Amino acid sequence: MSGRRSGSGVSSISDDQITHLVFKLQQLIPELCARRSLKASASKVLQETCDYIRNLHKEVEDLSDRLSQLLASIDTDNDQAAIVRSLLM
Amino acid sequence: MRSPFSLKQEFLKKWILGLQRCRSSKKNMSIFKRKKVIKLSADVAMASARKGTTCWSRALIADAVKEGNADKHLAEKILGPASERQPTEKVPVGAMAYNKRIRSKKILKRSSVIRRTIKCAPQAARPSSIVKTLVGKRRQILRSLIPGGEFMNGVSLIEETLDYIISLRAQVDVMRSLASASKLVNLN
Repeated sequence: MSGRRSGSGVSSISDDQITHLVFKLQQLIPELCARRSLKASASKVLQETCDYIRNLHKEVEDLSDRLSQLLASIDTDNDQAAIVRSLLM
Repeated sequence: MRSPFSLKQEFLKKWILGLQRCRSSKKNMSIFKRKKVIKLSADVAMASARKGTTCWSRALIADAVKEGNADKHLAEKILGPASERQPTEKVPVGAMAYNKRIRSKKILKRSSVIRRTIKCAPQAARPSSIVKTLVGKRRQILRSLIPGGEFMNGVSLIEETLDYIISLRAQVDVMRSLASASKLVNLN
């Protein structure tokens, strides 16, 4: 689905919205957090976003690996779940 | 503003539920299979914690149970009986279009169903200097990283990205805590 390009009429509103959203994105990404006072360029933010998401995906994979080994020895019955829950609260 | 802590609790609750649903076969599972179960139930739990309010979460779940997916039966097991599933299953705007797309690409491109999926992107991005950075390779990459990304555009793409990152972070935090907690419990 390619983007529909209607006339360039009311572009300023979307522009502000997008700038604001890109700024919010910038604040989420640790790489760019230090530059909070400076607005990084949108393309830089996008690039860092993609890298960040890829890193998070990789972390989920690695953690799933670790957990599958750790939980091999533990029975995930209600007792263990309760212990873990209380540790996390 | 959603509190991050309650998101984590919601995720943990659903994740444990999903894991328990797979528990009966767990005793004889290979490590490989176990990892798949852990990861899939975590992803599905995070998506359903959103309760169908975001496009990516609907797309993730739809993707997990679509025809032709190798782990479809596993995902359905994790999601539980249809009666217990989120209401999103009944009217998944993005997901329905996603499924139909698999069945018939040509019709989908011309039919009005495509217009319904645009609810994910209510206002298509209008050309502007900022938006120009959203075209081309980087946008494509971002769309490929987010579930259901190919249906999103402009403003909604960034909003979905924000939500997706927040959810992923919560998921990683909880998984990490569980890993360290399990290690501690293991040592006893």
